[in-house]
Amino acid sequence: MSTYDIEGVKQALLEQVAVSQTPREVLKAPQIRELYAVIATLPVEERGSFGREVNEVKQAVEAAVQAREIELESADVTPIDITAPWEINGSAPSLLPTEMGTQHPLTKEIERVVDIFTRMGFEAIESRQIDDDHHMFGALNFPPDHPARDGYDTFRTEEGYIPPAHTSTMQHRILKAGKAKLEAGGHIAAVSYGRVFRNEDVDATHEHTFYQCEGVFVSDDATLGQMLGTLRSFFETYYGQALRIKTQPGYFPFVEPGLEFAIEKPASIGGKPGEWLEMLGCGMIHPNVLKEAGIDPAKYRGFAWGGGIERLVMLKYGIEDLRHFESGKLAFLRKFVG
Amino acid sequence: MIISVNWLKKFTDIDGSVEELATLIGARLVEIEQVINLGEKYQGVVVAHVVECAPLEGSDHLNVTKIDDGGVVPDVERDENGYVQVVCGAPNVRAGLTVAWLPPRSTVPETFATSEPFVLSAKPLRGVVSNGMLASARELDLYDDHSGILVIDKEAAPGSSFAELYELDDYLLDIENKSLTHRPDTFGVIGFAREVAGIQGKPFQTPAWLEVLEPVINHTESYEAPTITIEDSSLSDRFEAIVLEGVSETAVSPVQLQTYLARSGVRPINAAVDVSNYLMLLTGQPSHTYDYDKLKKVAGGDFTVRVRAARADEKLVLLDGKEVTLDTTDIVIAAGDTAVGLAGIMGGESTKVDETTRAVLLEVATFDLYHMRSSQMRHGIFSEAVTRFTKGIPAPLSGPVLFEAVRMLQEHTGATVASAVVEDYPGYKDPITVHVSEQNVNDTLGTHFAAEDIAELLQNVGFEVSFDGLEATITVPYWRQDIHIPEDIIEEVGRLAGFDTIAVTLPSRDFEAVQPSAFDQLRALLRKTLVRAGANEILSYSFVHGDLLKKSGQQPDDAYRIINSISPDLQYYRQSLTPSLLANVFPNSKAGYESFALFELNKVHDKNRGLTDESVPVEHDSLSFVTAKVKDKSAAYYDAKNVLEYLAQHIGMTLNFTPLVGEDRPLYAPFEPKRAALVIDQKTGRTIGVVGEYKASVQKAFKLPAHTAGFELDTRALLDLYDPIGSYQPLSRYPGTERDVCFQVNASVTYADVEDATKSALIETGLITEVKPLDLYQPESGDTKNITVRISLVSYDKTLTGEEVTQVMSTVIDKVTEVTGGKVI
Repeated sequence: MSTYDIEGVKQALLEQVAVSQTPREVLKAPQIRELYAVIATLPVEERGSFGREVNEVKQAVEAAVQAREIELESADVTPIDITAPWEINGSAPSLLPTEMGTQHPLTKEIERVVDIFTRMGFEAIESRQIDDDHHMFGALNFPPDHPARDGYDTFRTEEGYIPPAHTSTMQHRILKAGKAKLEAGGHIAAVSYGRVFRNEDVDATHEHTFYQCEGVFVSDDATLGQMLGTLRSFFETYYGQALRIKTQPGYFPFVEPGLEFAIEKPASIGGKPGEWLEMLGCGMIHPNVLKEAGIDPAKYRGFAWGGGIERLVMLKYGIEDLRHFESGKLAFLRKFVG
Repeated sequence: MIISVNWLKKFTDIDGSVEELATLIGARLVEIEQVINLGEKYQGVVVAHVVECAPLEGSDHLNVTKIDDGGVVPDVERDENGYVQVVCGAPNVRAGLTVAWLPPRSTVPETFATSEPFVLSAKPLRGVVSNGMLASARELDLYDDHSGILVIDKEAAPGSSFAELYELDDYLLDIENKSLTHRPDTFGVIGFAREVAGIQGKPFQTPAWLEVLEPVINHTESYEAPTITIEDSSLSDRFEAIVLEGVSETAVSPVQLQTYLARSGVRPINAAVDVSNYLMLLTGQPSHTYDYDKLKKVAGGDFTVRVRAARADEKLVLLDGKEVTLDTTDIVIAAGDTAVGLAGIMGGESTKVDETTRAVLLEVATFDLYHMRSSQMRHGIFSEAVTRFTKGIPAPLSGPVLFEAVRMLQEHTGATVASAVVEDYPGYKDPITVHVSEQNVNDTLGTHFAAEDIAELLQNVGFEVSFDGLEATITVPYWRQDIHIPEDIIEEVGRLAGFDTIAVTLPSRDFEAVQPSAFDQLRALLRKTLVRAGANEILSYSFVHGDLLKKSGQQPDDAYRIINSISPDLQYYRQSLTPSLLANVFPNSKAGYESFALFELNKVHDKNRGLTDESVPVEHDSLSFVTAKVKDKSAAYYDAKNVLEYLAQHIGMTLNFTPLVGEDRPLYAPFEPKRAALVIDQKTGRTIGVVGEYKASVQKAFKLPAHTAGFELDTRALLDLYDPIGSYQPLSRYPGTERDVCFQVNASVTYADVEDATKSALIETGLITEVKPLDLYQPESGDTKNITVRISLVSYDKTLTGEEVTQVMSTVIDKVTEVTGGKVI
């Protein structure tokens, strides 16, 4: 064992840092260099543990330097009376003029969408922003390595968590939570809305961060015809006019049948007959998804849908570039008064 | 994927216009991205016979030809025989050929609908007039061959339409591959045509050769065939092969076949390769050929073709000459033990077919789609063949495709069959049967189909349906491996009949309106209130660059890290919203906004918060606000605090502010402890957030104006503490009175010390009271300060007399001076 007094060196350096006006200089102290020099003189089998100890000293000193720097930075700062209503010798602060204030167009639209669905009897819950593979894929009938997973371009964290790529990440939770009510003779009716993430390059029509609203309905007699009726009813309320709808087959592992749903572009946003807008994906909930939530697919059926919020907002205001939404630009935000 | 409508028509009738077809396919099969009119670029192209051909004097390569167009092209100069003179530089031009003539005023198809369309005319070349030109395959925009003019290989009358001759009066349907990922059967024209028949309500007639799953191929056994061994049945369901002798490398396929390849996006090469590609486009089943002699040599003494998992770090040189390093999830084809190809993806150089090839081994096989997917991604090889393998190819298909490939190679390359078919077929599966009732279908779709309707829709596309009463037993055709459960059948019925024909209704239930959640209602109120306070709501990304965390004094180690982002700006989940808001201050001040406030309501995540009972990270709801004024030199802290108290008032809360000392959480990191405070709910003592100015290092890093401050609050805590009713007190019938009082106190005494003492004295009076600040004054370099407050007093019982007021004031003054050690001045 080495008899070198590492602990003593460490304490001495920390004391220097604590009183120094230029703490970063301490990192250049000869004692640290000497400690490293000692390593080479030791028998090979001792070098590892000694080296680790020296590194720990260096890290402790670096942390102390950072803390001391912050302390020094703060030393020049004049403290204030944090309980006072205004600055000493000053006057009462005033709020900015109300007419400068604006709500973000996306949160405004989400509030409106939620308002319509709640009036239609759908509870609204916010979607999670970090989730696991089970909720994002597994519980929704996406087997591991299924090609359909590729389409979602999901981000992943070190731990394997997923920033959800669709608000359907809440579907399994909604079904489980509603099971008791369903089995007591009721139905499940809920929407989940919120932020979703796709790992793609950003341009005027692509964003890695955007908002969706998902809907789920389960009862003992749900049909695809009811799904189309529910969706049409939502869009008719939203646009305040009667609308024509159409569908096309769509593939989503968690529904069967699966459809894409389009409305004829409403006159209120400049639509002409024969112009169609694809609004969302939808379908009858796959029996595996119901089963996974403990709901008997022989007794109950359901439908689900999900669509983007940005599209509604862009159509409404004629917004040309998806990137504006997360830009934080006042030039954009202040256009949405009222 | 490009689907030719003319090719579809060879397998099913199509009613109506191409627009109607595209709409129907869109509604019942797949979205069509684009319909391309192929025929329009060939409108002016005319079939002509070269009657005479002679070198042009003075030129080393040009020829003067006389062509016969049957006299169909108007307004063109003709000789006494009615022939037209065209100068041609192609080396293969000669009398007797049938060619494609581009007459004057026609547009070269290669340049059609480009920015510079080339319109032909009658103009002299070296003094000799050329009326238009004779065209090469490239000029005809068929495929990239400009070595000579295209020689028409069919009987065709002079003057007939070139487009009609080769069925180029066609429309192409452009479809995104990913829209059909779940339908491998539609990656062949025949499978697509089957669907087109089905959605038109017509029965589909499968070509006879495709119906025979185990065809007999007449053969000699002039060559020894290898043994086929699939080592692991999870890698491949089936591998079939046959030896063919005398496959000509130089034989070209018929022009018509080449044009079908070309319009589908596949380049014609030679007859042998074209046949393989043609059958792949037709059926979805790729095939591959190996040089027989080379294969046998590589195999050494063990003439076995093996399908096996690659070994770790095994090396293989592919057809394109590149060496790849394999992984145990790759599948290889081995001759003996030596890898000679990356299964389904690309063959190897060591068994490449070339002009010395005497015989080939033709492979028709299927490989596991998951292995194909991972190999494709790892090696970055994207071909028409691997695209199909990654969707999954059914094993029974290889039988008829091998048969048809042999037949076509015999026809177009002069090949002869030199061995029996050899195969290994470990993945044989019995057909899937599904039971579904008429009621199942109608209950789920909300329709009224009769059993016969259901049967007919399904039988049209190859399902076998037998009804026992209203219960059907349905045998799924081998190419529909995606059909397993009754819901899959229900989807087929709805889709083939058209979902848009389903009557639209609403759920049969009592509608009960519900309310947005309490949290949503609170957030709406918070937004409204901050907007009224002149602030602008922003939304910013949930992921931030590590530098942003460091600039804010936060530790990246505390943040969930994204490991696969394509953008370096998206590295970490944010731990609080404040850094994102601060990042938005400078761009706006730089854009000329001198005075503004931003806020955001969103979720934040940091590792220290742990996991929920579902084992996913705890999410935290946060409200952050920042206010900045470019020219203001006053303490910004009070601006932020003022907005915060305004907000608190709207949600029925009263706040206290205590020093931010010794607090070490990511939320507090950007704030300067000497000019920031913890925000405390007065009623419960609960800490709900932080308000203040930012550290000098933060101000510098974010280029903040000197006057910048903000707050960040726990929004869920606000929900717990939210009091929608507030603290209403009935009004008194009696007039009130006000007194101002100025306390001189030591500079270290806080405003709260004075106000709290005042209130504690007033509470004992039983009166309705209010204390408001009037003035805060401290002389320069003085060690005392003056705090002036206005006290309002009202009684429920009477008008207060002067004496009573004085009595109250004296109690207040005694209390304040006692607590603060100050005096009244």
